[in-house]
Amino acid sequence: MSAVLAVEGLHTYYGKSHILHGVSLEVREAELVALLGRNGAGKTTTMRSIMGLTPPREGKIVLFGEPVGGLAPHRIAGRGVGYVPEGRKVFGHLSVHENLLVPAATPGRWTIEAIYRLFPRLAERRTSKGSRLSGGEQEMLAIARALLLNPRFLILDEPSQGLAPVIVQEVMRTVAAMKAEGIAVLLVEQNAFLALELADRAYVLSDGEVVHEGPAAALAADRARMEALAGVARAG
Amino acid sequence: MGIVVLLDAFNGLIVGAFYGLMAIGLSLILGLNGVINFAHGTFMALAAYLAFTLMPVLGFWGALVVAPVLAAALGFLVERFLIRRLYRREPIYSLLLTFGLALIMQDLIRTIWGAQGQPITIPNLLDHPLSNTYFFLTGYRVFVVAAALLSTGALFAVLRYTRLGIRIRAGNADLETVATLGVNIYLLRAANFVLGIYFAGLAGILAAGQLGLTPTMGDTLIMPSFVAIVVGGVGSLLGSLLGGLLIGVASGVTTAFFPAASAVVIYVIMGVMLVIRPRGLLGQEGLLE
Repeated sequence: MSAVLAVEGLHTYYGKSHILHGVSLEVREAELVALLGRNGAGKTTTMRSIMGLTPPREGKIVLFGEPVGGLAPHRIAGRGVGYVPEGRKVFGHLSVHENLLVPAATPGRWTIEAIYRLFPRLAERRTSKGSRLSGGEQEMLAIARALLLNPRFLILDEPSQGLAPVIVQEVMRTVAAMKAEGIAVLLVEQNAFLALELADRAYVLSDGEVVHEGPAAALAADRARMEALAGVARAG
Repeated sequence: MGIVVLLDAFNGLIVGAFYGLMAIGLSLILGLNGVINFAHGTFMALAAYLAFTLMPVLGFWGALVVAPVLAAALGFLVERFLIRRLYRREPIYSLLLTFGLALIMQDLIRTIWGAQGQPITIPNLLDHPLSNTYFFLTGYRVFVVAAALLSTGALFAVLRYTRLGIRIRAGNADLETVATLGVNIYLLRAANFVLGIYFAGLAGILAAGQLGLTPTMGDTLIMPSFVAIVVGGVGSLLGSLLGGLLIGVASGVTTAFFPAASAVVIYVIMGVMLVIRPRGLLGQEGLLE
């Protein structure tokens, strides 16, 4: 199976602080990979490095077989990457519909009409301001926005953060549906058990380094190991 | 007395319209480009001089259409080759750049068109009072107010109903997220800068017909335009327009009662606003408080 994303030896800094110490990971075609780790482990920085938002100082990022190091974020997105950022980053002063007009939509199965069919709740609230939406609705909107790029690869940063359990289930069902459609997914989660239920493989980050990688099922079964690795079990 | 106050208030409204148009352009550029454009007044003067040169060929109306576009085209080059290099740096760099640019452009205007003022001929159609009692209501003045409102209305329509406008509004809040959605933010910022300069150009030509055409015409308008932004509320374009009109009228009315204070009053309004409502008339809460 060919790699959708291959990251090798990432070193990323915020100013002078060295955040990522040689992170390497891979996402293969139609695979859902979970990236776990506690707060401050470097999960979001890894995502930002891949998207070109915080370009790494060292390391290689290969997307769909082509190196993308140094490319601007919009070019990386343009290669077919949908990015759902941490905290959703919905445009609060724009309406739901306007939020959906921001992405540089590419032709494909996901049109605004198709999005409204997938998320009827967004259709109902199309004239509401983004800031008026519930957390769950905002998460749907952030995913919808990313889908309009008709991505082959979806990056989700903490989609369950701050959501009620029922809503989390709904979000996770959506993520599973995307995977079922053949979209590769990189899922960042603090809630490890949730992520491992869906994932094929998992990486655990700690202090900017990958401390574990392997099949998701094996990690989920080994509660003690998860505790030891990154204290990720507490959310279960 | 009543008519004098009315006259001064109306004069103030006209000048306020120029402040407002300038402030809208400044506000656009400050919002998305994050640049305090000190060259705004000089772009304004340049557009007016271009219109002056074009008028014999294109007439007033032709020049009114073409000159702001030319100024905006120059704005595109300035953004592309100078300002773009400074986005990642601290704001002081772009401030210094636009300040230097203003000095250079102003001297260029002096070199090309001379240091003394030039006459602008406004069309006969607009050159008459519309009423004998209200003699100050000349066609041109009414036209200035109408043009300011119309162009602002058109800008709001663009910002509200076009993808470009929606992306500009989104980018004002969170440019990074706009970029991750595949939007070329380099182009977006360029388009926004061009739009802002277009408004400076439009203000320049309208102002030249009313206040006269001199190389320094922008200097007298740019500080009140910054005040208009603060009074109207940083981040709100409608606020910038209203702020401009408000301080214009306030300054005009003060002329009727206490002429010496007419220049100072706008700064007093700004001071009072900053104390009682730091976000300005329509600014977002929390931006300055």
